Amino acid sequence: MATMEQLTLQLRETAREILESKKAAAVIGWEKGTFWYTTTPVVLTKPEDTERLVWNEYCLNNLAKYLLDFQHSNEKVAIFARGCDSRGINRLIQDKQIDRDKVLIIGLACPGMKDDKKARELGQNADIPLAKKCQECAYPDALVYDLWIGEPKEVAKPVPEAKVFPEVEAIEQMTPDDKYASFAANYEKCLRCYACRNVCPACNCKECIFGNSSKEWSAKANNLSENMFFALTRALHVAGRCIQCGECERICPVNIPIMLLNKKIIQDIDRLFGPYEAGLDPEDKMPLGSFEFTDPEEFM
Amino acid sequence: MFTFQESEIKNLLNALAKEYKVFVPAKVGDESKFVPYDDNVELYWDRNVLLSVKDKFFPHTEPMYKFKTKRKTVEIEPLASKDEPVLLFGVRSCDLQALNCLDQVFLTKGFVDEFYRTKRDQATIVALGCNEAEDTCFCTAMGVDPQKGNGADIQAYRTQGKFGMEALTEKGQKIIDILKSYLKEENLQVPETQGFQLQPDMDGVAEKLKGMFDAELWAEVAPTCLNCGACTYICPTCHCFDISQDVRGEEGFKYRCWDSCMFEEYTLMAGGHNPRPSKKERVRNRFMHKLCYFPERYNMLLCTGCGRCLNVCPVNLHITSIIGKVKEAN
Amino acid sequence: MSVNEALDPKASAQTPEDWQPKILVFACNWCTYAGADLTGLSRLQYPATVRILRVPCSGRVNPQFVIKAFQKGVDAVLVCGCHPGDCHYTTGNYYTRRRFLLMRRLMEYIGLEPERLQARWISAAEAPKFQQVITEVTEQIRALGPNRKLRDVQWQQWNS
Repeated sequence: MATMEQLTLQLRETAREILESKKAAAVIGWEKGTFWYTTTPVVLTKPEDTERLVWNEYCLNNLAKYLLDFQHSNEKVAIFARGCDSRGINRLIQDKQIDRDKVLIIGLACPGMKDDKKARELGQNADIPLAKKCQECAYPDALVYDLWIGEPKEVAKPVPEAKVFPEVEAIEQMTPDDKYASFAANYEKCLRCYACRNVCPACNCKECIFGNSSKEWSAKANNLSENMFFALTRALHVAGRCIQCGECERICPVNIPIMLLNKKIIQDIDRLFGPYEAGLDPEDKMPLGSFEFTDPEEFM
Repeated sequence: MFTFQESEIKNLLNALAKEYKVFVPAKVGDESKFVPYDDNVELYWDRNVLLSVKDKFFPHTEPMYKFKTKRKTVEIEPLASKDEPVLLFGVRSCDLQALNCLDQVFLTKGFVDEFYRTKRDQATIVALGCNEAEDTCFCTAMGVDPQKGNGADIQAYRTQGKFGMEALTEKGQKIIDILKSYLKEENLQVPETQGFQLQPDMDGVAEKLKGMFDAELWAEVAPTCLNCGACTYICPTCHCFDISQDVRGEEGFKYRCWDSCMFEEYTLMAGGHNPRPSKKERVRNRFMHKLCYFPERYNMLLCTGCGRCLNVCPVNLHITSIIGKVKEAN
Repeated sequence: MSVNEALDPKASAQTPEDWQPKILVFACNWCTYAGADLTGLSRLQYPATVRILRVPCSGRVNPQFVIKAFQKGVDAVLVCGCHPGDCHYTTGNYYTRRRFLLMRRLMEYIGLEPERLQARWISAAEAPKFQQVITEVTEQIRALGPNRKLRDVQWQQWNS
């Protein structure tokens, strides 16, 4: 089993070869960050720059979103992808934002990334836990790829299972007033920086309702009502398309548990319309983009 | 210097609370910010707060005036600011320097922003020195002295289980007078701030950037940026705002609220033209503003080295690495 | 509004004596709107608590319409359309059904009382059903009281 340091060398070699032979115009990966617990996504176009690429336990960022920058170019783009990145890429393909043949996917098996915030707190010699999003990950290895770094793994076609989230169930048991108090307390903190929206692979609209204040759906004013409008609208807009990468929650500057909304919707979709995982296969029918004549109808 | 035991702090804050609305740095859930003082507040001195004091002077959303249309005329009613002396206890040097930057924007060059000025005049600031830098701190590189807040009314220090205070202005002396009975006059050794890891070299950067508008650097670093607004909203010096209205029938409020140059519609004009259409222009603008345009206009950097943007950026795009790249560029 | 204002028992004591529920009904043009029209033509009485918003199809109803309505101060939202299989656009209401199920559950999850967001299939001929539904929902909301959750109170706060 190769270590991550050894795989890093393979990563760099693969990227260099791709750029030198012009198989792709750019390679998207991670490079070393300012601190030992940070890495930064990077888009490289020159073969000699591929020495900057790294593969370690702090490669937390989901790279899929960067493909949107190449939407309107005719050139092919190479991208490193673990499970979450590959699901993000499938998300973009299924949403018709990029063509599969414009992307050269280099698959990786992911051991799980460490929690960078805890790493900063505990120091380099401590036992750093896995990031929350990685602890809950069901698909660590790339689901779709053209090349593979490391030992190729036999990846069986994933079969979605109905998911149940204890933290969601805990909230479902509360009284309405307690539920509202809990959500309001969280969303009072919201800065409306839109980091969650910008990092999300499912949020790929060319023109976002929240980037168009002249249409007045959403005011720039920051108050609880507007913040909840943003949170709920975004959760429902990505309903059925959220790949559970957990990036939104991880990067929120004020630690809002954003995934509580997304997980509730995911759980309901599984209960109501059958087990479904977004981003496994671009050919899958999307829950809100399709219907069955036998759908439940409890309100009639 | 005047000192008091750290264990006495609540008594002093209570005494001050009789004359001022006192704000203190506190832990609130997972975050830290300045909150109005009361006995239940969890005071937080170990590190700088996540949410700076910017919003005490430049609130996130601020109503400016109310208007009412009456047939062909419009009645405008300015909204009175609260008349309330405020005391901010424990502002770090980086955040204080940020206020100096905001002063330049809102108080100088021929137009005085009344909303800002009222709040600034009513506030008394007790600066708190830092004994230990966080790994993301780089204030010294940006010309800020962590143990001396530039523009404070009182400079306070926290060391050896005591707080020490030195009045620097008349407002500060007033505080010392109020607290006289709690204070002891003694010499306190002020420690030198330890632990700086980041030391970006700012020498000549502002000058060099003047010629770097078309540099390749921007096309190289911009793709990483997600163009969210996290850095701008968490930054103590960022001051861009939008003006909007809440209209109901024939009445309305005109208000201003924080805006971010990172948002696509920030420079969007009527007619659809956008002079900063892509990430590259927006990223370039942000760093040029902080490190070149602002120093050119006001003779001070718009970055005070507080390190919050390093903490908060989803993709770890750090201003310190941009400074490094600028220095290395041809 | 802050959490405290939303749940303040004193605020509910401030409900004026003459408070009437405000219910927003999204009525699909081809079925429900015609049905409501027929209710009026048949002189069937129903409470005047309803505001009807005509949409081409119940499938037009987006989550943001519903949330905006609560922001603006309605006490309940009713999404009404053609019976499945009868949609003028063939399949619109099938999508409504799925979307509404998720939206309703999410609203309940954040603490909105489930009676405040409901859906019904009302066809153009079902005038008595429209009357019945409105009367029923009005009574349910009257019992629950005015809705304060999600409400935008910026205006009141700035006016005080």
